Amino acid sequence: MTATTTPGRSGAAAPRPRPLLTRRRRRALLPWALLAPGLAVLAGLLLFPLGRVLWLSVQDYGLDNILSGETDYIGLDNYAELLSDGYLWRVALPNTALFAVVAVAATVAFGTLVALLLATLRPLARTAVISCVMIAWAMPAVTGTYVWIWIFDVDRGIVRQALEALGLLGPEGLNWFADRVLFYGIVTLNIVHHGFPFVAVTVLAGLLTVPRELHEAAVIDGAGAWQRFRHVTLPVLRPVFAVVTILSTIWDFKVFAQVFLMPGGDGANRQVLNLGVWSYLQGIVQRDYGMGAAVAVLLTLLLLAVTLVYLRSMFREEELR
Amino acid sequence: MQPMIPRTAAVLTALALTAAGCGGGGDDEASEGLLVWIMEGTNPDATAYFDAVGERYEEETGTPVEVQFVPWADAHDRFTKGMAGGTLPDVAELGTTFTPEFAELGALADLTGQAGDTSAYNEALVEAGTYDGSLYGMPWYAGVRSVLYRTDVFEEHGLEVPENWDELRETAVAISEAEEDMVAFPVPGDAAYSVMPFVWGAGGGIAERSGDRWEGLLTSEESREGLTYYTDLALEDGVSSTGAATWKETDVQDNFVDGNVAMAISGSWTPRAISEADPELGENLGAFPIPGPDGGYSPSFLGGSHLGVFEGADTEAAWSYIELLTGDEFARRWTEESTYFPGKQAQIEALADSEDPLVRPFAEQILEASRAAPVSPKWGEVEGAQVLPGMVQSVLNGDATVEEATETANTEIEDTLNQD
Repeated sequence: MTATTTPGRSGAAAPRPRPLLTRRRRRALLPWALLAPGLAVLAGLLLFPLGRVLWLSVQDYGLDNILSGETDYIGLDNYAELLSDGYLWRVALPNTALFAVVAVAATVAFGTLVALLLATLRPLARTAVISCVMIAWAMPAVTGTYVWIWIFDVDRGIVRQALEALGLLGPEGLNWFADRVLFYGIVTLNIVHHGFPFVAVTVLAGLLTVPRELHEAAVIDGAGAWQRFRHVTLPVLRPVFAVVTILSTIWDFKVFAQVFLMPGGDGANRQVLNLGVWSYLQGIVQRDYGMGAAVAVLLTLLLLAVTLVYLRSMFREEELR
Repeated sequence: MQPMIPRTAAVLTALALTAAGCGGGGDDEASEGLLVWIMEGTNPDATAYFDAVGERYEEETGTPVEVQFVPWADAHDRFTKGMAGGTLPDVAELGTTFTPEFAELGALADLTGQAGDTSAYNEALVEAGTYDGSLYGMPWYAGVRSVLYRTDVFEEHGLEVPENWDELRETAVAISEAEEDMVAFPVPGDAAYSVMPFVWGAGGGIAERSGDRWEGLLTSEESREGLTYYTDLALEDGVSSTGAATWKETDVQDNFVDGNVAMAISGSWTPRAISEADPELGENLGAFPIPGPDGGYSPSFLGGSHLGVFEGADTEAAWSYIELLTGDEFARRWTEESTYFPGKQAQIEALADSEDPLVRPFAEQILEASRAAPVSPKWGEVEGAQVLPGMVQSVLNGDATVEEATETANTEIEDTLNQD
């Protein structure tokens, strides 16, 4: 489909003598032709479900609809109900957005620090450290989450014992899974631990491309370590930071397993749900597929908005320089 | 250029085929014989058992049987997908709360005529399988929760089996004072069936049908009394642990297996699992029915399974299979292999005379004090929304008083059960 529309556009942009035009058209078509299989797969596996979720979100769709196959169009009622629900504004949205801001900032900051460390290491040491870092990355989310739950076991975990030994915690203990802020503190640790290797490796790749001369010039001008990072490394690496920040934002906004698997995170403790888990509970568990889809659409829109704003600000600064 | 179009077409065709394959998988063999879904996680070696049942069925009817095992955790999703894709089985094991939900949708066949007189079966199981006056779920087996305890701990400290709520509290306090590293009686925040006996035991209830409406009973004085006793075990008497506020039943069991727990509300199927995990611990297990406030027993939730026939199946052929499973021969074998209780009252009564100290108390609990959850097509949603765990957890975490928590839960239950 795409292949038929493009040549007209490129042909209009470049009016040339006729015999050349066909060749140009052919050249313009070739990338699209090569992309076609991939686009077809994407359309089937991504666009179709996406459209289906959109369509579901404007319906009152329950188990009875699944059985009968009938649809029950209700317009934007699901959205109206969702947006007027105090729970969204008090709990689900703050849990999602604030957590994402903190987690992304922490992941990028920690990942960058590790990258800076890696850049100063000799090749052998660097390989050793990268291998260790990769293990954190390779760990499946479910496994990682259970390890964190084990570490933070309220009654007998390592953290409990350490805090008690240090005298920071009384014998009655503290159920951090029951407290919203502490709960997300543990989720943040989990996410940062799982996410920083990607940032570290990507930023390291960027760091290695910064011309040594720039740093030497800065040193001669009397710049300290922080000033060199701020005025030399950071500007050169801006596109790299854009990529890792956007990807981390996308990942951290739609965190699911790391919340759902935590004690109380599967719905028993309403104070700790985020949009992803809430969507699942509404849609799949409560069999209100329309409402679940509406929450999912909201999450997607939110993510698109954040990404767009971020990309715009990124490229505007780029143009200014 | 040219070859591209066929290739794109090929990809699209492949995709279409994959999509069709997803929707159509599963029923290609079903047309031949009887397709049966059995839940997994109830019996370690169910395959041999169902092979035997299938062989007998084929001998008797000439129709082959295909049994597919579905994990419990996945069960509801699988039924939903089956409804969407038209790949439902002929016969299926149904969790007791699924039955009214699917019956309301019209997905299940009415079995009233085939089953005939059901008075021989356990009343709570029959009640749970009945929707709008008709039987949709044939009682198959039952499970119940009572108190499982460590006989070695009781003996060491000269403790007796408690017979009322005061004694239960005193026993638990005595254990937590004597055994510093042990949780005497965990009060799990994420376990709905562990709180129900206390609400029921105090004379309260969850919800009751009056006319066309469901009325919540959690805000009644008795229900609040029961919840207060239960949560005070943790908050006032300190016989639970801080972490237990977010435990599920599986966490209780894991901690029991680790030797951290002295007594706990546990299912009739757990002693075997505990013995398998730690045979030495298995030697020191005892059980007693959940005591009532002033003696007697507190009612416990009667869980279990129904057998249902899906609409569109050959009801007669499906019913013959159900008859075989619930008949004396295979029902007895199932009880022996799975440690679940049979659905027939007389068979449970026989087990109440059992010498086995890990069978008798549970059988007594079923016979003397067991209840079904509110039988409503919407009860599954109440469970899904975790209303009861939310209520208990908010009290244990200090986020709400018993009055506030029961008020919230009651409203949610009424709203859910009364929605159309």
